[in-house]
Formats: sequence, structure tokens, C-alpha cells
Amino acid sequence: MRQRLVVVGNGMAGARTVEEILRRGGAEQFETTVFGAEPYGNYNRILLSGVLAGAEDEAGIFLNGLPWYAENGVTLRAGIRVTSIDRAARQVRAADGSATGYDKLIIATGSRPFVPDIAGAREPRRGFHQGVFCFRTIDDTRRMVRYARDHEHVAVVGGGLLGLEAARGLQAHGLRVTVLHAAGHLMNQQLDAQAGGILRRSVEQLGIAVELNARTAAILGTDAVTGVRLTGGRDLPCDMVVIAAGVRPDVELAAASGLPVGCGVLVDDQLRAAADVYAVGECAEHRGRVYGVVAPLWEQARVLADHITGADPAAAYTGSRVATKLKVAGVDVSSMGVVAPAGDDEFVVYAEPGRGVYKSAVIRAGRLVGATLVGDVTRSAFLVQAFDRDVPLPADRIDLFFDRGDGGGAALDPAQLADDAQICNCNGVSKGTLAQAVGDGANTVTAVMERTRAGKGCGSCKSLVGEIVGWAAGGAATVDPSDSWYVPGIPLAKPELMAAIRERRLTSVSAVFAALAPDGAEDAKSKMGLASLLRMMWPNDYVDERDARFINDRVHANIQRDGTFSVVPQLKGGCTTPAELRRIADVAEKYQVPLVKLTGGQRIDLLGVRKEDLPGVWADLGLPSGHAYAKSFRTVKTCVGADFCRYGVGDSTALGIAIESRFQGLEGPAKMKLAVSGCPRNCAESYVKDVGVVAVDGGRWEIYVGGAAGAHVRQGDLLATVDSPDAVLTLTGRFLQFYRENANWLERTYAFVPRLGIERLRAVLVDDSDGMAARLDAAVAESVAAYRDPWLEGGRPATDGQFRPSLPLIDLPLVPAR
Amino acid sequence: MARSTPTHCPYCSLQCGITVDVGAHRPTVDAQPDFPTNLGGLCAKGWTAADLLDHPDRLRTPLVRADPGDRRSPLRPASWAEALGRVAAAITGSQDAHGRDSVGCFGGGGLTNEKAYLLGKFARVALRTSAIDYNGRFCMSSAATAANRAFGIDRGLPFPLADVARAEAVLVVGGNPAETLPPAMRFFTDGLAAGARHVVVDPRATPTARAATLHLQPTPGTDLALANGLLHLAIRHGYLDAGYIAARTTGFEAVRAVANSYWPDRVERITGVPETALRQAIGILGTAGSALILTARGAEQHSNGTDTAHGYINLALALGLPGRPASGYGTITGQGNGQGGREHGQKADQLPGYRKLADPVARAHVAAVWGIDPAELPAPGPSAYELLDRLGTPGGVRVLLVIGSNPVVSAPNARHVLRRLRGLDFLAVSDIFRSETAAEADVVFPTAQWAEEDGTMTNLEGRVLRRRRALRPPDGVWDDLTLLTALADRLGRGKYFCADPEQVFDELCRASAGGPADYAGISYPRIEAERGVFWPCPGPGHPGTPRLFTEAFGTPDGRARFVPVEHREPAEPPDGEYPHVLTTGRVLRQYQSGTQTRRVPALTEGTEPTAELHPDLARRHGIGGGDLIELRTRRGTARFRAAVTDTVRPDTIFAPFHWGGQASVNALTSPALDPKSGMPAFKACAVAVRRLRTDEVDSPIRTDEPDPSEER
Repeated sequence: MRQRLVVVGNGMAGARTVEEILRRGGAEQFETTVFGAEPYGNYNRILLSGVLAGAEDEAGIFLNGLPWYAENGVTLRAGIRVTSIDRAARQVRAADGSATGYDKLIIATGSRPFVPDIAGAREPRRGFHQGVFCFRTIDDTRRMVRYARDHEHVAVVGGGLLGLEAARGLQAHGLRVTVLHAAGHLMNQQLDAQAGGILRRSVEQLGIAVELNARTAAILGTDAVTGVRLTGGRDLPCDMVVIAAGVRPDVELAAASGLPVGCGVLVDDQLRAAADVYAVGECAEHRGRVYGVVAPLWEQARVLADHITGADPAAAYTGSRVATKLKVAGVDVSSMGVVAPAGDDEFVVYAEPGRGVYKSAVIRAGRLVGATLVGDVTRSAFLVQAFDRDVPLPADRIDLFFDRGDGGGAALDPAQLADDAQICNCNGVSKGTLAQAVGDGANTVTAVMERTRAGKGCGSCKSLVGEIVGWAAGGAATVDPSDSWYVPGIPLAKPELMAAIRERRLTSVSAVFAALAPDGAEDAKSKMGLASLLRMMWPNDYVDERDARFINDRVHANIQRDGTFSVVPQLKGGCTTPAELRRIADVAEKYQVPLVKLTGGQRIDLLGVRKEDLPGVWADLGLPSGHAYAKSFRTVKTCVGADFCRYGVGDSTALGIAIESRFQGLEGPAKMKLAVSGCPRNCAESYVKDVGVVAVDGGRWEIYVGGAAGAHVRQGDLLATVDSPDAVLTLTGRFLQFYRENANWLERTYAFVPRLGIERLRAVLVDDSDGMAARLDAAVAESVAAYRDPWLEGGRPATDGQFRPSLPLIDLPLVPAR
Repeated sequence: MARSTPTHCPYCSLQCGITVDVGAHRPTVDAQPDFPTNLGGLCAKGWTAADLLDHPDRLRTPLVRADPGDRRSPLRPASWAEALGRVAAAITGSQDAHGRDSVGCFGGGGLTNEKAYLLGKFARVALRTSAIDYNGRFCMSSAATAANRAFGIDRGLPFPLADVARAEAVLVVGGNPAETLPPAMRFFTDGLAAGARHVVVDPRATPTARAATLHLQPTPGTDLALANGLLHLAIRHGYLDAGYIAARTTGFEAVRAVANSYWPDRVERITGVPETALRQAIGILGTAGSALILTARGAEQHSNGTDTAHGYINLALALGLPGRPASGYGTITGQGNGQGGREHGQKADQLPGYRKLADPVARAHVAAVWGIDPAELPAPGPSAYELLDRLGTPGGVRVLLVIGSNPVVSAPNARHVLRRLRGLDFLAVSDIFRSETAAEADVVFPTAQWAEEDGTMTNLEGRVLRRRRALRPPDGVWDDLTLLTALADRLGRGKYFCADPEQVFDELCRASAGGPADYAGISYPRIEAERGVFWPCPGPGHPGTPRLFTEAFGTPDGRARFVPVEHREPAEPPDGEYPHVLTTGRVLRQYQSGTQTRRVPALTEGTEPTAELHPDLARRHGIGGGDLIELRTRRGTARFRAAVTDTVRPDTIFAPFHWGGQASVNALTSPALDPKSGMPAFKACAVAVRRLRTDEVDSPIRTDEPDPSEER
């Protein structure tokens, strides 16, 4: 037989107590009925100020909605006020005339707003003046929001926490706000005068007027509020009043039923007010204290649940340390424990009124017993734990208020490091050991690493090892040759690597490793860079080995976040035809492509294609690859050019199509995005492309190189101004080939161009200073001639598993980052 | 003639690819330059792993007590026949007098799959006892319990380790790979270099934390509140993946209701992590295109470790991560075969293939593979600490066989465990050295080392690897498969056992077929050809499964489970008498209970067991760097050299657990268990500290034998 448990109050304490009881298997012990004066589930009252300000959604503040009670077997009498307790009959009577019997009773009636004696605020029979509001419940909040819509100036009575929250919230509705505070400084419960003064300045800077030592005597106006009268006789005009002068425990019900009441319902360490009657939350007074913040309420709820269910018969509540942290009217405030020092207390204060920052701490016998932070609360996490848990305090008291860190970030000077300073933690290598290795003849970073094993664990100390080796080599800084290697697995810079490849006619990645890598060892991180280089060098003879490719290159599509692929068909110059559009539309429907989107490069992107559908998609499109996935020539963006545009001076569309037709799919160290604009208005954004062409007066064309507008933004440099579209094609090809041969793996033109300098590029490419122009032109022509649409593989997969749905077993080579 | 054998490092779960080179001189170790988990890197432990092969302390013959029945009499060399005979007699005698469950086995997470499997089979088929568990209970059980419930499958990382480098955001909770799996840091470093943002949660500013974008430094034992706080912010900031939650999960509403009450300033007060840092962290996770959430022992070794793992799984599910590219939740397994060791039946409640011992279908399948009647299989037994706690007590185990574990050092409340071991009728231990536990035994068996045996290990990614034999064990040393087979033979059950690793593996694969950890399609030749195979791999034509959950989870309905979990105070919060928090962990140059690494001079030179404490805490107790200090908890005392450093929280003392004797930190730890997983609360208990007076100091700290104050 279950006992009958009645809980009067469905606020944060009452509902939490029920949750804690249920968590202890209380559903089997108790048949629970909860009375709530408000017709809702229970919500987080702290967030009401957010709702008032419109920053918080009403639905988002509910902790347990109405269905929760039924799901947990709890009877909720929402919106029904309990009117009396008959302790002799062990039942409660409610406003609806019902009587509910109990075996255990929990009173959790919380607080009610304190309304000072203000003439005209409230009529005993009629209730509050229609322009006067309290701020306690969700209904109060709704009423204020509604009233604020057609009123202009609100006086908030009370400059404590709640009053300031109300002020800021109503200001968000466009009202002029004046805070009337009876005490000499704001938030005098939590702050000392100096902190209160700083808070006042911050509040005023937000446009909220503050009147201190201002007691409100009367509301002016009968049907509509016209103002308030202060005790000094001064009148302040306003058309709305909010009374936020604090709260008092709601003990009416308890007192009427003969329970012991002081300031709140008096309870012992088991929250017991009388036999089988308990009180919890803001309405309870324990050891002379009443709590008004959430944490103590929840501690009480836990103890009461332990006690009432018998989960922990020894459970006792011994009081709480009170700390609050809130954004008060837009200003961060954190406060805990005592406000002011007493006796021999140490009092540490930091004040910076100009920035609205104030910090103080009260230390008693080496322990933190109080602290206040205004404006900057970043240290509240440390302070509140020091306050709660007696964490040892820093000797340098300034560290209470500021996290000064360890001064990290400053570069380590190898000369300053002690000889026994550990450089490589993984392998326990000290600076002295590294220096010794250099002294013993290891003259490169790699050699020192091999000898000492420094950097051979997690690898994170490599740069420091490099600096120390440089220092130990005595100014004759050893340059690590590996820095200049094109890929990490082959000890050659790009020109030497290309020379060696050409000389030995190495046409596959594995052949390069066999011939040029130390011990012929293959290096996974080097494969993609080598494959790209070899395809560039041997357009016709390159031997493709598919494990050297990134997934995008293996399936010729761009892998997406969810493992599907995006397919971008080639639309040269961004131009298409009705027939192509129809085919694209048909494909999108047939394969249920979730998203069809126009790209920044003027293409149509079919997103969300499954890997196994790729060959079918390509076949049905009947369009070549748009290369939107590769380290290669991507797109030429164009404007509408001279035929249709009133401003156009050159046929940019035709030239763009010509460029794309010529260089489509050309591989390189990184992607290449191009554009052609028909006039200097530059609608195709030519200035921020790898190669950008702009028509200028007189039938001439400007060629810009090295531009970018992605994560990195750079305006391209003017390489040359030429006289004909043919000359544009020639110079573009020459530039691209030079870039392909000389750029580092993954080095975009925006890095490559400034690295070499535009003057040098102009000299080589335009003036042919090195006599290589003809060779570059021939090389790029050979690559162009060898171009083949990769989507033709769709009908004839390169491997059995190329388009299998699961990801391959072999570990994918990563695109290394530079 | 020199010979180079590719195999794997004997230590942690990363199982770095190495070669053992055997020639005219001592064997040496080198890194395989391109093995996918270590990419040519090795830590100090790996480089020196071969130093143990010819170590003078190595056991080379069985040892028995000079006076049988008196464990205070010296251990003397004996023949295998004599040693096996004593063990078999003890087993038979005890089972005749006290029943089958009076004999128990205790295994280890460092054993090969074959040994773990055969030990489980030995307990169920040869001993027919329910009393078997292993030290992995002290490592992975919380995360495993949570993953099984949430995902239906427990594979530490359900994705390849290399995904760490691909993820745009990574959250590591209570893990320090920079010191525990150093070569794995390459993936973290690569990710950071590519612009990823990493968040590390640790009460200490470890090298891992210092390398991260953001370090959150919570009070030990509050990781769950932190998880719920992050979820609260994820909800408020609109980072939820509603489509994913609707399509791939169940139970979110209950979790949302719990998260509602973890608002930032409440979480800040519980955890000590500033609200701004919480917001930064969720911003990093919530805005990334791909994100990984990883937990490790710091989050899991608590009396609420399972709930804490659920907290982070909830967060991962709410953000829509598991099953997405370069995204998901994983736990970083610790011991060398911590993954495979928890799959194949040395756990109290488990049969091979991660099957449940209580499941009639699982019992029938495995019994058929073993050729026995399912009714012969015992019921699930007690978890590790419960088993150890009841040794020698009425109804508890009276004869114990320990293989590959050193509970005298590694178990919580270790001196109590030592007393319980001393209460046994008979203890047999198989190890390579005379460990603290072996020193207590009636019979000690010498066993082969990593480079002397064939087998398989399953690494932290669920990749099944080949451990290859590079040289023969010393004369007189057997491997554990041979030991178990010989012992089974003496118990009259020899026909069920075989000592050939490849045959054992093939049988394991059959036994696992159809289970969650399905190895049916894996074979030695395949592992060698493919450099490892990811389970599940249900058939020879199956490619293995590098990434789990891409289509569905392992639950009956294919959806992942949200599980509502609430923060609780640690089992033993600090108080006036024990005012600080003790947390334990690892240092780079030692491994587990130190049986191996403490014997490598290059790793121990000039080091003493050291406890870290903050300068502000040290000042309160008048402690200077290098002082000898005593740590005291309700279980006992231990002494350490003080390292005063501001990398640890001022309310927390950190001490590593690699030492025994006077520096046994597990003499201090709390045996409060996680009710769901049986995991002890290693990572948080209340502690007092004091500086030792000069007259109390006998330097250096003795770590070789139990504290002399400990009466036998």
C-alpha cells in the first residue's frame, strides 16, 4: 500500500523534491499529488528575465511540462491553490472545494513579492492598479510584455537584482526606464557601496536612469498611471510601474494551520516542520536562514528525498553557502558569502571604475569567505570553488582576480634553456643531448633526430629540435634540407626531383619511391603529391596507381560531410542550353538528388549523390566532368560580355569558354580558379582569381595572377596587358605550366606568386628572360592534348570496388596541410 | 644472420608497428616507418621494449614454495611437472571440498586474443567455475557498458585513428595521449596544423591539454556535470542536429529535460570551469563540420563512470556525430589488448564475440563450438573487485590463477587486496617477472614474452593485428596457451584444448561468429596481407569495418539510445580530515603496474615515484619541491617525492599508479564501485597530505616490496 504524499507548491523547490523522490524509487512508495497555484508545469524562474527581454523563448524555460507528471504517475493539480491544511484530519483543502488526504505533506509555497506601502498601488478589493506590476511569475511577465507595447516610461521600484533585471528587460521593449532605489547604492544586499557605484555607472551607460535614496510614496493617476510621488514630495512622470522590492517567504498557509513560523516555516535538519509535515525551498527557515537562490533549494530537495524515502536515513541538511552569478541589466555580477570584512579579515579590492570593473575578496584565517565581482566575472569559477571547497588561495592575492597564465607564448630561446631541459618528452631527450649529437657530427635536424630519437614519438617538438640544432651548430645554422623537399618521403627539392624523374623516366609513384626514396621505402604522405607531379610531367605515359589518390580523385567527385558526393558537370564559362538543363533536371529527379545548387563558379552542383550512383549519374548527364573535386584547373567564371551587356568592351564569354576548352582538367599542385570579365567593372571577379582576365578599352586584355577570395583574400598582380584573345590563351597556359612545375605541393597561386614576385614572373613569362617560354608552351600543349574526361570511367570502373558503397579498408592518404 | 620480424610494440593499445631485429647481438626494436597508427613514431617505452627479453630478472623456471602450504617459506625452482602437479592438486582438492566456484581465474588486458579466449574457455570448460574476471574491469568497463547500451556495440574507436586528423573539432575528456600513446599525437598535431580546434578536459595541464586550442580544468569527478552543461548550451545555441536525432536515435526528450537544469553558472560552480570556457567549447564543437568526442580513464574511472560516458555520448548524439565522416564518439582504450581482451570471454558475464553469458542463444552457440552441453556452462560471476574482495572468505574463491596481471599494485584499495590474496588457500601466478603478486604465490609459472609468441591483438580502433614470433623463449619457459592446455589435461579436460595459436584463433573466430565482435572472416594470412582487419568481419569475403554506424547502430532497432544521467557528488568528497582530492594516472616512461617498465634502466634512471601538487596547496602544508610527502586516505598511506607545479589544480593531488611498496597509490584509492560497470573510483577520493619529518625519511622510497608496516 503506497503512502499518500501531497506537495503544496510546484515551483523549483517543490518539483525538484518530487524529481529527487522519484529518482530514489519513490513511485513505489508514494502516491504523489502536487498542487501548483500556476496552471503550468514547472519552469526555471531564473530565466523569466530573459523571457521579459525577449531573449528567451517561453517554451524553453520549462523544466518539466504537463505531460511529465502523468508519465511519472504524479497527479498535478495545476492552477489550484491550497487554502488550508487540516493536520488533525491529515488533509489539505483547495480552492476548488476538494479535500486531499495525506500521509506525508511537503510545503513548498515559495515566496511572494514584497510590496512596500505605496499609496494607490493596490486596493484591498480591486487588487493592483492596472498600470502597476510585480515580477514573479510567467503570467506577470506576459502581462508586463503586453502592457509595455503601448506605454513609454516605466518606473521600476527597487534597485536590487530583480528590479535591475526588470529594468533591462523592459528597456528591450523600447521603454524609457527609471529605477527608484530606496538604499544608497544598487544591489545593496550583495554589493558594497563602491561596487554598487560602479554598477550604477554601467547601468546608466545602458540608458537606464537610476535614482538612489528614492522611496516611492504613491502612484499618481487613477485609471492610468501618470507618475509616482517620492517621499520627499518630488513627482516623477511615468505611465507604468513595476514593483520589484524583494520577496518574502509565503507562509500564510503554514501559519494558518498552526505550524511554527518565523520569517519562514521553521524546519529542522530533515526539513521537518512537524510530524509528517515538511517545508522546503524559499518558504523554509533553517537555522535562522531563508534561502532565495536555487542551489540551496536543490540541496534541501536532495536531503528531504533521502530522508522521506529512507534512501539515506542519516541524511541531514546543515545549511548552504550562498553564491550567485547573474547578468544584471547587462552587467555581469558574481557574489558569494560576506560582502564586507570584519575584525581581522583580509580585504582585497581591485577597482577600475572607468571600465565598470570591481573585484573584492574577504579572507578569514586564510580562507575565502566572500567575494564580489562586477563587470569581469572570468575568475568566478575559481573563486566560487575556493569559497565552496576551501581551495588553497594564491599567495600573490592579485591571482585571485586575474588568471595571469604562465606567460606562455613567448618564443623559447635555445641559448637560454638549461642543458638538462627536456626537449622531447616522448623519448626523454634534453637540450644537452641534442647539442652533444651536433658536436658528434650530426649536422642536420634529421640526422640529430635519427641519432637521439628526439621528435620520433609524438613529433610535436620537431621545430624546437630544429632551433636547438641550429643554435648548437653555432650560427652556421644548419638548414634542414627536408624543408625544401617537395614531398616528405623523397629527399629532393622539386626541381631536382623533376630532373631525376625525367632522367630516369620514372612514370609511376611506386617507381619514384623505388628509385629515389631512402631504402626505396614508400611514404603514404608523399603519394598524392607525387601522383600530381607525375601526371603533369608525363601526360601520356603516367602509370596510374589508384591507392595514390585521395578519395575525391578516385571517384572523380567531391566527398561531402555525410559521405555522399557532389557532382558538378562542366558548363564552360558558366553557359548552358535548355537541353542540358533538361538532362540535369531529369538526373536530379531520377537519382533523387537532395539538393541542386548554383556554385560560386557559375556551375550547377548536384549534392548528395550516393557513391554507387555516380557512374549512372555521369552517363545520364552526358556532360563532361566539371572537375570540382580535384587539385586541378576548375572553372572559368565569365560575365555576359559584349553581346548583351551595355558596358562590355570585350567578348568575355567567348574567351572564357575558349580558356576552359583548352585547359580543362589540367592538374596542378592545387586547384586553379579563373575568370574573364568583359570590362573593368569586373562582374566575374577577375581580380581575385588564380588567373583573372579583364577586357579594357582598345580591344586589349589585362591578365592578373595570384588572386584569391576564399579563406585567404588577395588581389591578383597584373602580369601583362595583351592585345588579343589568342595572346591571353598563350600567356595563361605559360603561367599555369610554370606554376605547375615550380609550386610546392598544395601551394595556391596566392602564395606562389608573392613568393617568386610578380617582377620575376613577368621577366620569365612575358619577356622570356630565361629562354624557357617555348618549352613551357610546348609542355602545356602536351598536357592539353592528353586530356581525357575522367567521367568516362563511369562505364568502365578502374577497379572493382571503385564505386562500392563502403569506404575502402586501406587507410586513405590524407591531404597534408601546409 | 640478421632477421627482421614485423610485429607490434608490447605496451599500450596503440600497438605501434615495429620490427624486431635479431642477429648476432641483442635483439633491437625499430619502428615500421609507415604503419598507419604510429607512422614511424615510437615512445621511449617502445624503443626500449627489447631490453626485457634478456633481462636478468626474468623467470626461467617454475617456482614453488620450499614448504608446500607455507607461503612464507622461500620460492625454489621446480620442474614443470611438479609445479603443474601442485596446481592441479590444489584445484581438484578445493573443488571437491568447496565446489567449483571455489577456484577462480584473473586475467589481463595485455593478453593476446588467443590467451584471453583460452583463459575464458579454461574457466568455463576445464574448471567450470563462474569466478573469472580480469584487470580490464579497472580500465574499460564504464565506457564499454555505456557504449553497449547506447550503440549496441562496444568498439573503443568506431572509426580509424586517422580520423582524428580529419576532424575539424576534437573533444578529449580525461585523456592524455601525449604521454600515454605518444605516437598517436601525430594525428592530433596534424589536425591542429590543418586548422582543427581541440578541447581537452583534464584537471591537469598535461602536454595534451597544453597543445590543445582550449583546456578545461575541472574538479576531478565532475566530468558528467560538464557534459550536461555542454549539452545545455548546445540546446540553447541551436547546435542540435534535429534531423539526426529524429532519424537515428531514441530517448532525447528525457535527456533534454535533464540538461535543462545544467545552466552555465551552476555547472561553473560544480566543475570550476569558467562559463566563458564552456561557451567556447560548445562553440568549437557545435560549429565544426566534423567533430570527435573522446573519453578516457579520467572520465571513466569513477563511481559514476558509466553515467559520465553516457553524458558524452548524449552530447555526441545531440550534435549528430556518430556515424558521420570524421565524427563520432570513442573511448581511448589503454592496455595493449584492452579491446580484444574485453571481447572474448575473460569477463565475468561474457562469452567470445562479446556475447552475453546469460543469453541462452549465445550459450548454445559457444557450447556447440566447444563441443559441450550448454548446461555445463556456469552462470555469470562477480566483477573483478568483488571477486578479489571475497578471496578466501566464505563463499569466495579459495584457489586463484592469475595470468598477465598484477592486482597487488593495480587494484584499488591494494593493501586490502593483498590481505585477501594472503587469505587464499592457494595462489598460482603466470608472469615474466616476479611481480608483487607473483611474490605472494604458491606456484609461479614463467611465461613467454611478446617477441617470443604468435597471436593477435586488437588495437584501440578495433583493428585486429598479428603479433609475430621473432625468437624462441628461453629454455624452460612456456607460453600461457601451453600452460593452460597442460593444466586442462591434468584436470581431465585436455581434449577440449589446443596450444597452437593459429588453431586457437580459428576456433575463436568460429566462436565469435554472429556475435557483436564478429571475427569469423579474419585469419592470420588475411591480417598479414591487409596489415590488420577491422571487426566486425563476418565472412572471408567481407572487407572488415573501419567505420561503424554509418548506416545503423548495433541496437535491435538500429537507433542509438540517449540515456538521461545526473551529476552526483563523488563517492568520497573531501572533508575536514581529508581535505583534498586525490587523482591517479600515468606517466610517459612507465606502463601500468610497472612490472615491465620499472625493470628498464633507461626508463627509470633517476626517477622516483612523484606526486604533483599546486604551489598554493604546497605552501599551506609547508611542502617544497623535492620534499618527501605522505598521502593518507581512509584506506592507508603512501609516500612520494613532491613535485610542486601549477599544472595541477590547487585542490587536487596527482600521483601515478606504476609503483608498489611504499609508493603504491592504489593503497590509497577507493574501492567504491560504479554500480553499472563495476569500475572502481580510481580518479577521485579524499586525501590528506603532510611533509615527512627528517627522522621519518628513509630515502629512497622503497617500491620493491610491500610496506613493511603491513603485517602478514
